[in-house]
Amino acid sequence: MAANDTRHNNSQHLNWTGRITARVLRHLQQAIGSLGDLWRTPFTSVMTVLVLGISLTLPATLHLFVKNTQTVTEQWNSASEITLFLQLSTSDKVAQNLVQRIQLYPEVANVIYISAEQALTEFKVNSGFGQALEYLDENPLPATLLVTPTQRFSQAQAARELLLKLEQERAVDQGKLDLEWLTRLQAIAALIEDVVIGIAILLCLSVVLIIGNTIRLAILNQKDAIAVMKLVGATDDFIQRPFLYAGIWYGLLGGFVASICVAILASYISGALRQLTDLYQSQFVLSGLSFNELAILQLTAIGLGLLGSFISVRQHIRAIEPTAD
Amino acid sequence: MIRFNNVSKTYPGGFLALKKVSFTIAPGEMAFLTGHSGAGKSTLLKLMSVMEKPTVGSIEINGTELSTIKYAQVPYVRRGIGMIFQSHNLLPDRTVFDNVALPLIIEGYSHKETRKRVEAALDKVHLTSKLKCFPNMLSGGEQQRVGIARAIVNKPPILLADEPTGNLDPKLSLDIIRLFEEFNDMGISVLIATHDLGLIARMRYRTLTLKQGHMITDGIVDGLQTISERNGS
Repeated sequence: MAANDTRHNNSQHLNWTGRITARVLRHLQQAIGSLGDLWRTPFTSVMTVLVLGISLTLPATLHLFVKNTQTVTEQWNSASEITLFLQLSTSDKVAQNLVQRIQLYPEVANVIYISAEQALTEFKVNSGFGQALEYLDENPLPATLLVTPTQRFSQAQAARELLLKLEQERAVDQGKLDLEWLTRLQAIAALIEDVVIGIAILLCLSVVLIIGNTIRLAILNQKDAIAVMKLVGATDDFIQRPFLYAGIWYGLLGGFVASICVAILASYISGALRQLTDLYQSQFVLSGLSFNELAILQLTAIGLGLLGSFISVRQHIRAIEPTAD
Repeated sequence: MIRFNNVSKTYPGGFLALKKVSFTIAPGEMAFLTGHSGAGKSTLLKLMSVMEKPTVGSIEINGTELSTIKYAQVPYVRRGIGMIFQSHNLLPDRTVFDNVALPLIIEGYSHKETRKRVEAALDKVHLTSKLKCFPNMLSGGEQQRVGIARAIVNKPPILLADEPTGNLDPKLSLDIIRLFEEFNDMGISVLIATHDLGLIARMRYRTLTLKQGHMITDGIVDGLQTISERNGS
């Protein structure tokens, strides 16, 4: 068809390297041009970037919160212990053999043996019933093993399975693994994570809508120029490119603002958190966003910017047609 | 080449703007299109520049059938037509150079080739000195000539002009028409829509006359009086 012939006419002027160079240069010109358009409307641009930055700060901060919560719960997970109460009749020798055998378990990191006598001594000291306990004919406390699972078997389900296995040992009367608080904590953490994901999706959607609306206004503002461009043969792709680049710039700058805001917030919170953790003699340190997370934040912001502008240009640019006036 | 074959155009609401119009403008031909307001001139130009599609009939521009054209092909058809309007349609925030360069940038010409062609086009319309000016710094006649430079910069085979001399004095109008003659001498088909019957009478080119959507005359017209009579004014 003749229109297709016209389409390729211009390619006769340049070889393929020339065409690629011209195309890259055109993209660069349009990208820089769209940045220039943002620069020419500083108030609107700054306001939009700040709104985007703040919108992205919230999910990023919540992610930071979830990440640090997970770090804390993982620390507690790894500290979980299984307590094995041995039968009262178990001799010291049998108990020592059992300790050696359990230490060979691949799931076990460490085993501490507390003999019945040692347990009674500690109980006398700690319980305040020292003198009363003197009247007992025999030691009522069993020998105890404190089993620390490896990191892999510290998780609730794996630790439960290990407990069942250890309870199969003949000398063991009963085992105890207080996982209820851990399960509750994990459930709360999972709930928070779900809420954060939900909020993050809503905020990302708002970013798309903000950028979409900003680009829509920019398109309507340049309606006449777009009509002229169409009149002289510009394709929709050519016309929409600067607006897509504008979306990318908004995303990039919004992501940058969000990164700074998250860093400031993390620094502000970590001061108060340090005071709190010092009270519990904890070594917990709030970790900020890693390089990878910052890169993901930037890429997400750019992607949302591009998506918002893409939706807007698809909807509005085609609707603008030149008039003969 | 422009070929209209039994073209009718009815707008939504039932207004019949063109009725079975047929004509051909051969490559390298120059012609005028005239008629009263509402005669169908603007509709005919809109159909040629693919702003509208015909309700009935076929239109062929540079070998492309417009009645069945796909949306994605429209820009490529428009690149083959230089369009000039009474209102100039210049981008106010761009310099004369950027306005004239627009079709070349769209088509992906190199910077060097673009500069060369823009300078040549502005030289044709005697505006080389206004390269860095913005449209609001130019007179109406100069703005019209920038519009013409933009229309011819990519050497289209067809030039359409809608009232190109509408706001200009007789001397400037004649200068503009002389420019069109120069382009026509280079082999470009030129169709000028105008109310200026005096101009048409002086130039003695083929004239297509529309009245209430019908093509009532097609040929060289002798003198202003004849035109006026045929238009019924």
